[in-house]
Amino acid sequence: MTYIVFILSTMFVVGFLGFSSKPSPIYGGVGLIISGGVGCGIVMNFDGSFLGLMVFLIYLGGMMVVFGYTTAMATELYPEVWISNKAVLGGLMVGLVMELVLVFYVLGEVYGDVVTEFSDLGDWVVYDMEDYGFVNSEAVGVSSLYSYGAWLIVVTGWSLFVGVVVIMEITRGG
Amino acid sequence: MNPFALIIIMLTVVLGTLIVMTSSHWLMVWIGFEMNMLAIIPILMKKYNPRSMEACTKYFLTQATASMLLMLAITINLVHSGQWSTMKPLDPTASIVMTLAMAMKLGLAPFHFWVPEVAQGIQLSSGLILLTWQKLAPMSILYQISPTINSTLILTLSILSVAVGGWGGLNQTQLRKIMAYSSIAHMGWMTAAMMFSPMMALLNLVIYIILTTTTLMMFMMNSTTTTLSLSHTWNKTPLLTTAILATLLSLGGLPPLSGFLPKWMIIQELTKNDNIILPTFMVITALLNLFFYMRLTYSTSLTTFPSTNNMKLKWQLNPTKTTIYLPPLIILSTLILPLSPMLILLE
Repeated sequence: MTYIVFILSTMFVVGFLGFSSKPSPIYGGVGLIISGGVGCGIVMNFDGSFLGLMVFLIYLGGMMVVFGYTTAMATELYPEVWISNKAVLGGLMVGLVMELVLVFYVLGEVYGDVVTEFSDLGDWVVYDMEDYGFVNSEAVGVSSLYSYGAWLIVVTGWSLFVGVVVIMEITRGG
Repeated sequence: MNPFALIIIMLTVVLGTLIVMTSSHWLMVWIGFEMNMLAIIPILMKKYNPRSMEACTKYFLTQATASMLLMLAITINLVHSGQWSTMKPLDPTASIVMTLAMAMKLGLAPFHFWVPEVAQGIQLSSGLILLTWQKLAPMSILYQISPTINSTLILTLSILSVAVGGWGGLNQTQLRKIMAYSSIAHMGWMTAAMMFSPMMALLNLVIYIILTTTTLMMFMMNSTTTTLSLSHTWNKTPLLTTAILATLLSLGGLPPLSGFLPKWMIIQELTKNDNIILPTFMVITALLNLFFYMRLTYSTSLTTFPSTNNMKLKWQLNPTKTTIYLPPLIILSTLILPLSPMLILLE
C-alpha cells in the first residue's frame, strides 16, 4: 500500500500508451478512460477526494462523453485497433518496454533516495505551512483558489470562453 | 470574421503574451502561452482553404508540444526547488528543457521546420503577427532564464539557426518563405547574444520586429507573395521601390542602415568575451541572408523588370490600400544607426 501511488502512476502511463500509439480514436478513448480513472486514484491518495471525484464527474463524465460521441459520429469503415496495424503495435510495444525498464530502474533503488521522495508529501503541498485545525487541507486549497487565486480564476474563465469562441470561429467554415 | 469575435481573439492574443511577460508564477506563464496559441489559430485561418488549415494544424502541433515541454521543465524545477517563482534561478535540468521548449516556440534550428510551411500557408497579415508578436513571449522567457541557460545548448541552437536561415532561404522565390528563413536566422543571432548580453538580444528583437513589420507591410501594400509580383512594384507604386531597397538591405545588416546596429553590438559583445570564431561564422552566414535580399532588390528596385502592357498603367489608378504607419516604420528601419551612442545608457 506504500507503493500504491507508484503502481497507479505506472497504470496511468500504460493507459496513455494505449492512445498515443495512435489507434482509431474510439479505441483511444478507452486509454483515456483508464488513465482518467487511475488519475483520480492518484489524486485521492494525496487527500484529494473532492478533486478526484471532480475528475470522474467533469473530465470523464463531461468531456470524455462529448469526445466519445464525436468520434462515434466521425468513425471510419475499418478502424485501427492495437493489433491490426504493425505501426500501432510497434509503438505500443516500444512504450511498454520503456515503461518496464523505468519501473525496474526505480524499483532497483528501493533503498535509495527515489522511493523516499514518493512517500514524502512535503514537496507537493505548498500551503502546508499553516495549521488548518480540523479542516481537510484539500478543501483549504480549493477555497484558496477563489481567494488568493482570484486572478487565476479570471484567466482560466477567460481562456475557456475564448476557447469556445475560437472553436466556433474555426468550424464556421466559409 | 465577425468584429466582436475578432476583438475578443485579438485581445486574447495580446493578453496571453502580456501574461507570459509579467507573471511571477510559472503556471501562469504556461497558461499565457496556451491562451496565446489558442487565440492565434483563427487569425492564421482567415481563409478557409486546405492549405491554411494544414498550416494551422502544423503550428498548433508544434506549439502544443513546446508548451508540454515547458510544463515538464516547470515540473522538474518544482520537484528540485519546491517553489513556482520565476524570480529564482532554475534547476539546470529544467533550464535545458525550458530552453528547448522556447527554441521550438521561436522556430530555432533544429526545430525550424514548421516556420516556412506555416508562413507560406497563411495570409500576409497573419504572417506579420506570427513573425513579430509571437516572438515576444518566448524571448521574454529566455531573457528571464538567461543567467542559468546552458551555454553549449544555446550556442548550438544559435549556430544551427544562422546556418539554416542562410542556406534555407537561398532557393526560395516565395516572399513569405524568405521572411520565415530570415526570422530563423535573426533568432539565431538573438540567442547567441543572449549568452553574453541579454540586453543586446532585446535590442536585436526590437529592431528585427521593426524591420519585419516594415517589410511585410510593404508586401501587403502591393499584395505580393512572390518575387515575380514584387518585381512589378515599379509599375504600381514607384516610390515604394526605394523603400523596399533600403529596408531589405537593412534586414541584411548593411551599414549605415538600422539593421547593422544589432549585428555590430552582438559582435562587440561576443568579442569582448573572447569569442572570435563564432561571430566570424555568424557574419559569414549573414552574407547568405544578404544574398537573397539583394536578389529581391535586384528584380524589384535595381532593374525595371519586364511586364505586360496591362501592368504598366497600374500607377495611374488610385491606391485602395491604406498604409498604416508605413512612413515612420521605414524611417525607423533605416535611420536608427546614428542613435547608437545612446546605448551607453545601458552601461
